[in-house]
Amino acid sequence: MSVEQAPAKKTMGVDPFERNWMLFSIALLVVFFTLVTIAGFALGFQVPGVETEVDPATVADSGPFASPGLRQIADGEYEAHVVARTFSYDPREIEVPVGSKVTIYVTSVDVQHGFKIQDTNINMQIVPGQVSKLTYTFDRVGEFPYICTEYCGIAHAAMYGVVKVVQPGAGGDG
Amino acid sequence: MTSDLGDGPAEPEHFKPTGTVVILTAFVLTIILLWASVYLILLSRGVTT
Repeated sequence: MSVEQAPAKKTMGVDPFERNWMLFSIALLVVFFTLVTIAGFALGFQVPGVETEVDPATVADSGPFASPGLRQIADGEYEAHVVARTFSYDPREIEVPVGSKVTIYVTSVDVQHGFKIQDTNINMQIVPGQVSKLTYTFDRVGEFPYICTEYCGIAHAAMYGVVKVVQPGAGGDG
Repeated sequence: MTSDLGDGPAEPEHFKPTGTVVILTAFVLTIILLWASVYLILLSRGVTT
């Protein structure tokens, strides 16, 4: 610690250290905000939203969640409906060809769950009464486990499944 | 009779908080590196729409 006999050049009564710290903090926030804006608007990153509202007591009785799983909707495009319940996902395995663009719809029939696919940006809160949706292109062959990220009860740790991304023709749809 | 403190106004002293600056610099660099690493991970994992 040193004490110097240097004049303090205050601007509008603000100490230079405080002024520089404030300017740097503001600049840092501007940089962060700019990068997030680029990711969201220029690169197209979206956060999960509420696709629709459903009755959790009856959502699995009819409609797409009555027979959850993968459906092909176009060449290279699929949609997967997943039902989350304590303590499992239905289906527990989804198999898609590499390069597939998959829209995933998830809902819960009981309590709040999470749905996170490892090594991807898919991470959704699954709230009873709502359908969460995200679209992702699986461009790497491999297995991508999905897990519940919201503690939902005693067997929460056993609540998982897997997305298998395979070479075209290497397997059927899951 | 004069005191050691002087009769006139004291000369302004400019305290340079070197230790605080070092700690804050390390803190800011850590924040930037962590933020940047998460951002790059986000980009590397691909777009969700």
